[in-house]
Amino acid sequence: MIGAGPAGLSAAVEAAEAGMRVAVFDENAGPGGQLFKQIHKFFGSRDQNAMIRGFQIGRNLLARAEAAGVEVFLNAPVMGIYKNHEVLVKIEDESVHFKGDNIIIAAGAAEVMVPFCGWDLPGVMGAGAAQTLMNRHGVLPGRKVLLVGSGNVGLIVGLQLLQAGCELVAVLDAAPRVGGYGVHAAKIARTGVPFLTSTTILEAKGDGKVEKAVIRKVDSRFQVIPGTERELDVDTILMAVGLSPMTQLASCAGCDVEYSDQTGRLSCITVTDEFCETTVAGIYCCGDFRMETAEGASSAILQGQIAASHIAEQAGYITGEECGARIAKCQETLRQMSGGMFSVKNKGRVDPTETDEGYPISRSLLERGYIAEEELQNYPAASYEAEGVHPVIECVQNIPCNPCRDMCARKCILVNGDITNIPLVDQTKKCVGCGLCVANCPGQSIFLIDKTSIPDYAAVSIPYEFLPLPEEGQKGTGLDRSGAPVCDALVMSVKTSPAMDKTAVLTMKVPLKYADSVRFFKAEGGAE
Amino acid sequence: MSKIIRTAAKEPFKPEPDDDLIICRCEEVTKGEIRRAVHGGFRTTNEVKRWLRCGMGLCQGQTCQRNFQNIIAKEAGISVKDLGMISGRSPARPVMIDVFANEVIDAEKDPEGK
Amino acid sequence: MACATAYNLAKRGMKDIIVLEKKEIGNGGSNRNAGGVRQSARDVRELPLAMYAVSRIWPHLGEELETDVEYVQRGNLRLGKTEAHKKILEAHTAKSTKVGLDVRMIDGEEAREICPYMSEEVTSASWCPTDGHANPLKTTLGYYRMALRLGVTFITGVTVTGIRKAHGKARIVQTDDGDYEGEKILLCAGWESRKIADTAGIELPIIPERNEVLVTEMEPEMFPVMLGTADSDFYGHQSKHGSFVMGGNSGIQQYYSMPDGAHHPTGPLTAPKISRGIISYFPVLKNAKIVRSWAGYYDVCADKVPVIDQIPEVPGLYIAAGFSGHGFGISPAVALAMSELILDGSSHTIDISPLTYDRFRAKG
Repeated sequence: MIGAGPAGLSAAVEAAEAGMRVAVFDENAGPGGQLFKQIHKFFGSRDQNAMIRGFQIGRNLLARAEAAGVEVFLNAPVMGIYKNHEVLVKIEDESVHFKGDNIIIAAGAAEVMVPFCGWDLPGVMGAGAAQTLMNRHGVLPGRKVLLVGSGNVGLIVGLQLLQAGCELVAVLDAAPRVGGYGVHAAKIARTGVPFLTSTTILEAKGDGKVEKAVIRKVDSRFQVIPGTERELDVDTILMAVGLSPMTQLASCAGCDVEYSDQTGRLSCITVTDEFCETTVAGIYCCGDFRMETAEGASSAILQGQIAASHIAEQAGYITGEECGARIAKCQETLRQMSGGMFSVKNKGRVDPTETDEGYPISRSLLERGYIAEEELQNYPAASYEAEGVHPVIECVQNIPCNPCRDMCARKCILVNGDITNIPLVDQTKKCVGCGLCVANCPGQSIFLIDKTSIPDYAAVSIPYEFLPLPEEGQKGTGLDRSGAPVCDALVMSVKTSPAMDKTAVLTMKVPLKYADSVRFFKAEGGAE
Repeated sequence: MSKIIRTAAKEPFKPEPDDDLIICRCEEVTKGEIRRAVHGGFRTTNEVKRWLRCGMGLCQGQTCQRNFQNIIAKEAGISVKDLGMISGRSPARPVMIDVFANEVIDAEKDPEGK
Repeated sequence: MACATAYNLAKRGMKDIIVLEKKEIGNGGSNRNAGGVRQSARDVRELPLAMYAVSRIWPHLGEELETDVEYVQRGNLRLGKTEAHKKILEAHTAKSTKVGLDVRMIDGEEAREICPYMSEEVTSASWCPTDGHANPLKTTLGYYRMALRLGVTFITGVTVTGIRKAHGKARIVQTDDGDYEGEKILLCAGWESRKIADTAGIELPIIPERNEVLVTEMEPEMFPVMLGTADSDFYGHQSKHGSFVMGGNSGIQQYYSMPDGAHHPTGPLTAPKISRGIISYFPVLKNAKIVRSWAGYYDVCADKVPVIDQIPEVPGLYIAAGFSGHGFGISPAVALAMSELILDGSSHTIDISPLTYDRFRAKG
């Protein structure tokens, strides 16, 4: 196994549990690949690690790998793959030869860089690199950051930049809409960060380092519109414009590598079949190394299981029947996870007008990163009135996720049919205001509203992941979905618990008429 | 790679305003140099790489390959798919000569590594 | 060879020149080598080509091709550590001096004066101050670009499968893209020339031998000389860019599987072996980082010198192949000789008479 990330580790566990002898090589000092910098809660279903933070998924996989007897070599870059499944691995100051009956390459991807004037100035870097700096090394990538690209990677890093204390000056996308999940965008937008769609970076300016970014509007064919240049004061420009598999090792092994638009845009990938096997028999690849997917780590884990099951069957460790069942299960989950409006077939091609359920699409969410108040009425779970405390779910796109349903002990929340369906509220069930749905929604798109318990006021409960945590009785400002100040707000409670896994549920008192507007709290004194 | 018929360019090279944009950071190769190479007759990824060194640096093309291919494709009026690709080669990461030299053939038979 | 010959022919005014290539420009041995431009330690039969190239072509080739071919003429050291090595070097030196080459034996101390980074283990060397090195990529592609400018047509992505006679003369080149016709056909396809020559009834005793080259990251300027060893542990130089380009082979690669011609895989054993060779002569390089390795095939001829000839049995067919790992440095001279063979009927500037195709036939 080359790469101890989610794909490599899950494949290793699967193969080892089937009775195979497995060695995993990783060039990094720690295992887990990109998982250990993923501090957000994952989307998906419960059996696919939904609600669990990435680094915790990494820990769980490692523990399983250890229990299954997988040997993990760290600081061990694979230098080359040769004929007859031979690999040469750098281990300390030695080059060690190994041979495997099968090889799985799960060595990940690198960030795509798009050249623009000044892109080689210090201060321009990949969003993933910035995430590594922050979350692995505790180093801020900069103070005033411009984020280029609004796919999920960009949006996730964007929130983490805010959490780390950076100023996020804007999020750009050359496309006319936000690329990633609306719920990710909304987390950023409600803190006041502007989304600039149909906008591209033109130039990074500065004396030896980034000091300014020049941006410009583009039309629907991505042609620049003259006269729309704007300068932004920034010291860091983060590029989140896609991943490109590190196909070098596959190419070195003689596997066919080609340009393909399987991922929705032209990218260089290793040719594989449905079992992740390359054109060289016995060499497989999975995870980001195989191709970029919307739910990278979750797909990677499933692909690892598919490849390992296939290998285990070919090598006689499991029966064809067992293998078929395992693979079918993984493929069904993959199918579900890759459905919805962010599926490959929709990516960059279709601008849907309605959801699978027939609700109109929120244009505001696509263009500005937040749902406009007047659009809320289109979505039953976001716009109903009820007595007492009740959940309001502002999750209005078809994305593969359903932990809200599982978290509600009272069965208030439904996700019927496919996992990509939009959650609904069963109003016949009574909400008790526990807040577990609020804290555990990976999209942070569930709020508890109570318009009837305090005269003239409403209690609005929001998910809150910033430090320092506000305290009961603290005064501040209620911000709307765009981050604009709306009214004074008073913190009524800040709930935390192990079941909430570090997402606090902050309940604030706001004037009744703002109950449907206020979705974020800004403490007095400026700090969020 | 499909058939390509090559003859000398008929039109003179036309400079563009952003020709000094760096495309390959490791080897500091500019857009203009790549365009000029295509004009001079180089039509594939590897030909341009061998002529200019773009993609030969520390990243071995991981970052720049696609970007310089886009320029070749646009300049030559062909698809990126038809340019061929840089072959992956050992070592996948830069490795010191003395590490390469210090081989262990079978770590199990010879755990001391000698 | 093809690019340089096409250039020489076009320069003399020949029209309608087509170069056919299976893959892309510069995919063969002229590109895949360590850049030696060397006269020393050569077989005397090909020495006239080397000496002519070094004295008459290389010094102004860059200017002629409007390309920085990175030619550096700062000498060649061929190194020895043992008495046996010394004997090999002395034998070469004696033969070369006899035909007028300025090459001499020096001891370890003098070698270290020329190249101070060398290990104390080096006890002898042959030293040829007029040898040097150049950039094979820039040279071959420079010839290509210039030939193109002079009106040559290059067609890539076409695989030649055979050569057929018409009216008793070489005429038709069969390819996977249909037939091409030529009045004169030059075959210079490296080790793969053999199977093409076979289709015209000519057997060339040439086999492929994989060699690999290691390329380091950029290092400060340290070694202007071209380097080799009596034992052939490795050979190479430091390029203008700063990277070291060092080649060699595992000694047994040719006994493993044959190449398929399309892919040039490296093996797991060669790079470590070359690395050990480098360190044993130049310990100072042990921390230099290798960024890449690549492979190419020598077209090894039975007697280690090339066939450069016209083929009377197949009038109109010319062959330049079998350079056995030392063709790059002489390629400008080979191209000149071949252009004269094609245009004038004989190579009148350089003597290539010992390099005939029929020299392997049993005598008497």
